Amino acid sequence: MDAEPSVASRAVAVGSRRRPERLPGEARRIGYLYIAPAFILYAAFNLLPLGQGVNTSFYDWDGITPGTWVGLHNYTGFFTDPAIRSGYVHVLILMVFYAFLPIVLGLFLAALLSRIRIRGLTFFRMLLFLPLVITDVVTAVAWTWVYDTHGPLNTVMNAVGLGHFIPSQGWLGDFNTALPAVGVFGLWGSFGFCLILFLAGVMKIPASLYEAARVDGANAVREFFAVTLPGLRYELQVVLVLSVIGTLDTFDEIYVLTYGGPGTATTVPAYLVWRRAFQSGEVGSAAALGITLMLIIFAVTYAINRLMERGAEP
Amino acid sequence: MSARIIRLTVLGALIAAACTPGTATVQPSAPPAPAVTGVPDTGPITLTIWDQEYGQVSRVWDRLNAEFEQRYPNVTVKRVKRDFNELKTLLRLAISGPNPPDVVEANQGWPDMGQLVKAGLLLPLDNYATAYGWNDRVSQNVLAVSSWTPDGKQFGTGNLYGYTTMGEILGVYYNKQKLVDLGLGLPTTFDEFEHDLAVAKQAGEVPIMFGNNDAFPGIHEFAVIQDRMAPTSDNTDFIFGSQGTQLSFDTPANLQAAATLQNWAKAGYFTPGFGGGGYQDAVNNFANGQGLFMITGNWVVGDLGADNRDFGFFVLPPKEAGAPPVSTGGAGYPLSITATSEHPDAAAAYIDWMTSDHASDLLVPTGQIPLHTGATASTVEPGTVLADVVAAAAATTASNGVVPYEDWATPTFYDTLTASIQELMADRITPQEFVSKVQQDYADFQSSRT
Amino acid sequence: MTTTSRTQVTMNYLLLIFVSGVAIYPLVGTVLASLYPSGAGNSPTGFALPSGFHWGNYVTAWKVGGFAGSFTTSIIVAAVMVPASVVLSILAGYGFATMRFRGSKVLFYLFILGLIIPTEATIVPLFYDVRAIGLLDTTWALILLEVSGEVAFGIFWMRAAFLSAPPSLLEAARIDGASSWKTLWKIMVPFARPAILTLTVLTFADSWNEFFLALVFTISHPTAPFGLASFSGRYTTNIALVSAAAVIVAIPILIVFIVFQREFMRGVLTGAVKG
Repeated sequence: MDAEPSVASRAVAVGSRRRPERLPGEARRIGYLYIAPAFILYAAFNLLPLGQGVNTSFYDWDGITPGTWVGLHNYTGFFTDPAIRSGYVHVLILMVFYAFLPIVLGLFLAALLSRIRIRGLTFFRMLLFLPLVITDVVTAVAWTWVYDTHGPLNTVMNAVGLGHFIPSQGWLGDFNTALPAVGVFGLWGSFGFCLILFLAGVMKIPASLYEAARVDGANAVREFFAVTLPGLRYELQVVLVLSVIGTLDTFDEIYVLTYGGPGTATTVPAYLVWRRAFQSGEVGSAAALGITLMLIIFAVTYAINRLMERGAEP
Repeated sequence: MSARIIRLTVLGALIAAACTPGTATVQPSAPPAPAVTGVPDTGPITLTIWDQEYGQVSRVWDRLNAEFEQRYPNVTVKRVKRDFNELKTLLRLAISGPNPPDVVEANQGWPDMGQLVKAGLLLPLDNYATAYGWNDRVSQNVLAVSSWTPDGKQFGTGNLYGYTTMGEILGVYYNKQKLVDLGLGLPTTFDEFEHDLAVAKQAGEVPIMFGNNDAFPGIHEFAVIQDRMAPTSDNTDFIFGSQGTQLSFDTPANLQAAATLQNWAKAGYFTPGFGGGGYQDAVNNFANGQGLFMITGNWVVGDLGADNRDFGFFVLPPKEAGAPPVSTGGAGYPLSITATSEHPDAAAAYIDWMTSDHASDLLVPTGQIPLHTGATASTVEPGTVLADVVAAAAATTASNGVVPYEDWATPTFYDTLTASIQELMADRITPQEFVSKVQQDYADFQSSRT
Repeated sequence: MTTTSRTQVTMNYLLLIFVSGVAIYPLVGTVLASLYPSGAGNSPTGFALPSGFHWGNYVTAWKVGGFAGSFTTSIIVAAVMVPASVVLSILAGYGFATMRFRGSKVLFYLFILGLIIPTEATIVPLFYDVRAIGLLDTTWALILLEVSGEVAFGIFWMRAAFLSAPPSLLEAARIDGASSWKTLWKIMVPFARPAILTLTVLTFADSWNEFFLALVFTISHPTAPFGLASFSGRYTTNIALVSAAAVIVAIPILIVFIVFQREFMRGVLTGAVKG
């Protein structure tokens, strides 16, 4: 902040003879030039492919020979293709772990922890943030150890006498536990972020609101629903959108942890897009899947935002 | 202005987008037969090889590569090692780029080599085969499984796209001491084998060491059973697809094979927790003395040690005593040249070197089976596991009982088969559901070919 | 707020410690696991120290995993991509924040769209486009794609940062008659330095952590995460070795995070809160 006056004064001192023709904020054609580089790149590598993707999705294409027009057939995948259907089902289940549970836990803990002044919050924040910051290929590899036959999870379960619940095929190899196992990984990853965000949000809630609630005779639970939750509306909206979108996008951990297996127990739409486009030559279907994912993300984002905003009315 | 920008952008995107994707692929034609075989002395050449060899075989490859570099000092061989799954998934993408590898191990069949041929990514080798005399070194079967019409539409005929002189066979390894301890002899019929499994289980041994986390080992278990359930004369046609929709996977034989496999799994004949177990772990554990049997391929000799006398090998016995041996196997992983390689002549010389008698002599002790004419098993000591493998392979070949791998049958067959076998062995689908599911894949593909 | 009892405070700290512990346990455990003797079947239980510290695992992992190569690729990509992305975002953010021009609103919203267009929607045609211009399997492809994917957020971020500049700043520039270019680099950028730093750090993190794009577009020159995924696939049961590799790949981003954690936090929290 100290630099600016000296720069400005120096500029004034130089005293340009040029007449200031335009106000910043006034109509300036040069604006186009400023946004051009970014826009060109963006249009070339995001917008254009989007259009092409839509086009490709209307064809049955193996990626090599000319494709055949099939109209909206690829978009019926949810109804006609069990693989696609199960991909969406899996992602819905994962959302419980990636979005719902972290949010609930985060809210609960933020409410609890908000009552005290936390010393060393920066340090704790750093720890809680690590799962999200570290490359998810790395954290997924870390969790292959956690789930290993002789890894910490099984060691603990055996120690507390729950050993017989350990699936014989391993957590990631058993048809029933593979998807929840991926889910727990996601829960671990998102939870710290939720907590930090909610904590920050809670600390912004004016104490006076709590006072008022207490005066009205509210207990801790009532306080939570009457003051804390509404006060966190914005953070909730952000977290909801980010975590739901994040779940729909899940790919890296599937590739590292399970390759979509066992069988097809952990396939998710993003993984199917990759497989179909680059392995089995069902490119049109992959394109449609990608576009559908995008539309779902749009719809969900819109819905969440509307829901949250509507609830914001006093 | 704003509206116009939007319109222009959208229009531009649509125009660029609104055309049928995919263009007619230009199929590379076979390069002319080289005037002189061997590596042209045109300055330094780097040959990039993509393979999935590991263990002893990998060490032999390193040695062969070094020797090749000595023969042709202007050549540097750069080896990129991947594992089986990774090679499968990444090969197509890798070859499509502007700097593809020169020589690759592309698995035969519709899922891998067929797709690559269709995309024009592999070079036809016919002229090199003529120049180097490859066609005379192996049987027609070995050549056929790497043959495709240039449009990738027919399998088993057309141009040659891959070459190898080494072969594979699937069968049963057994721990000799354990067999004796359990009071069992070598089973000569299928029923005897099943009896052995039960006895082993009863005695607290793991009857079949197995780990299916990587998905492909399941194919081995299913294939050997399938080979024994019915005549396999149609198998090659099934995999080539030469009879279109007339052949089906939904046969009583396959149903019985599926039921047998599932029963074995339910009876606990496989390593506990096999669904999450690794293939290499199972092999290592078996080599360390765990378990009675292990059903997999000849290459494991490399892990056991060629002169190992503690283990033996036999082809899964037939239903009726005395029937000729039948098992899955055949040509091993072939070497192919990528279409955009800048050094096809050098690559061909490399392939010739890696398939030479000298290479074969080095590879046989690792458990690789030589298929080329004039191959002698002179270096094989009787009584070793290698001897058993070589003998089994020879007998099966002699009786024309070698069946190609089932997962070669459609572009998606590998995925469908491996996933379905996992489900079958986990008792999540019935044998009939298994057979129907797999047949659906086959039928869909065959009808799409017309 | 009413005073809380000491037990409550203690309980809360314990809770916080427990939760933080859970957050870092797998990571700490991996570091510990990497020091176990290499080899399958030597799986550390996570509750015992290894017999000795096998630092050799790191050397082995580095060599066998080819991380010299993949680190180089990741660094090159980040070194080009981060400045490019940040500069482009500064330029465009400045344009949107301080200038009015026909269609600016729509164009801005087009960029915002990029925030929610998932990679899956564009990766299929992108593959064929990139191949058509001959950039398939090159680091340039990765750089270009990462930049174009990052500018949406970057522009949003920089525009917000520039919008928060006091009008007097711009007034001074106008009076002086400074060109927009000079105003940007001499006044606005110094003003927005914290925001730019945050953007740089976040962009670096996104670049280093990128996996999906690398998997499709740079197979022959893998990035560090891709190298790790391949390595871990090949040596699945050798927990110690794979853990060493994982730690190796984690170190750069970890260092950046620790050094710039304020920027990270600011980026996430204010970015989230300001919307």
